[in-house]
Amino acid sequence: MYLNSMSLYQPRQSLIHRIDPISKIFYILAAVAVPFILPTVTVAVICLLVSAVILLLAKVFRKVIPLVGFSMVILLSVVVIQGLFMAENKIPLFRLGPLIFYQEGLSFALGLSLRVLNIISAFAILVLTTKPSDLIESLVRKGLSPKIGYVLSSVLQIIPQMTATMGTIMDAQRSRGMETEGKLAVRLKAFFPLIGPVVMNSLINTRERAMALEVRGFNSPVPKTFLNQEFKSAYSKIIQWTLILIIIMALVWRILGWLK
Amino acid sequence: MSKKGMWSLKLTTASLVLIPAAVAINFIGKSFAGVLKLPLWLDAIGTVLASMLAGPIIGALCGAINNIIYGLTMDPISFVYAITSVAIGLAVGIMAYNGWVSSLWKAFFVGIVVALVSAVVSTPINIGFWKGQTGNIWGDALYAILIAHKNPVWLSSFLDEFVVDLPDKIATVMISYGIFKGLPKKLTVLYSNDNKTETL
Repeated sequence: MYLNSMSLYQPRQSLIHRIDPISKIFYILAAVAVPFILPTVTVAVICLLVSAVILLLAKVFRKVIPLVGFSMVILLSVVVIQGLFMAENKIPLFRLGPLIFYQEGLSFALGLSLRVLNIISAFAILVLTTKPSDLIESLVRKGLSPKIGYVLSSVLQIIPQMTATMGTIMDAQRSRGMETEGKLAVRLKAFFPLIGPVVMNSLINTRERAMALEVRGFNSPVPKTFLNQEFKSAYSKIIQWTLILIIIMALVWRILGWLK
Repeated sequence: MSKKGMWSLKLTTASLVLIPAAVAINFIGKSFAGVLKLPLWLDAIGTVLASMLAGPIIGALCGAINNIIYGLTMDPISFVYAITSVAIGLAVGIMAYNGWVSSLWKAFFVGIVVALVSAVVSTPINIGFWKGQTGNIWGDALYAILIAHKNPVWLSSFLDEFVVDLPDKIATVMISYGIFKGLPKKLTVLYSNDNKTETL
């Protein structure tokens, strides 16, 4: 059903799926703000556990792994480089051949990894349990320009279409004798006959799409209506206020800590 | 060209629909670079092209929307780097408007400026998030050498980003320039906001 649209959305029947997208955005804000206000390992672990429980409730826990994968290389690189070379490094922890890992660098890298995992899992709750079109629609209801809303949903439809033409172009140019393997110069040269048709195609389509939209009153100043009914859950306000309250409590905690 | 056109916030339908196309071009550029195993990302061709065609505002919007879409569909961290993409769109748009995309050499220079802008904007984000690292092997190797020799984090981080950005952004801008020059006038007049052409 969602084959024609690029998205990480996982359709499931769960409590979390029934929560509105704006409340999930509030959750992201809280999950990013609280460990920032109270930068201890305990708080970071608690936030991470909360996100993990929500992801489990939404039955999408395993789908987080590819998302984390994107940041895995850089996280490993941070662990190695900061563990070895961070300027504040003093206490050696262990030795791996000629390399000495230091405690300060490694504990810094641990804190950093927790922070990043936290952000990724908070965002994962939103992107894995919300249909992008629902998210865009609720943002437009909250005051985002409908034109930008159109642009956003249009991207999600165009990219899969164009990816499908990628293979066609590749085959067409290969059959004309284009080399796609070999030395760097050869491969670099092949880039032009590949990207050229894509760009031309998409710009020509753009022209037609613009005309089609104009004809249908895209620029009309009349307030836009929505295709779907507003997605409202009774708990939205409660969830949002609770999250705001948690952020305020974290701030109070931090200030009390200073006063002591 | 009259100066007031560049920052016009009145977006025409044609330039708005250019945004999804540009984001898709970014995506396809990156995929082709991957398929051909090029040591470059080439993931901003669409943004650069849109900035050349329709100015800094559309360029910046393309950059922002590009990263929002990446954030929603692949890597949540890319939301934060929207600022870098916006800066790239603005830089190319402003330079293009002032006549800097008229020859290949000028495009080369624009590439250097874009690399600088991108590195300057990304460095604080890299420091905030990754203590200055980028995850790119070559850049991070340089970073490790610099840090091991007690150089400040901001300098090591800036160079880490810049050595990776420089070839990538020069290639991106020059490829976009090549495509831009090859576009038929029929298409380019649609987006130019110099107040001299009719809109749809």
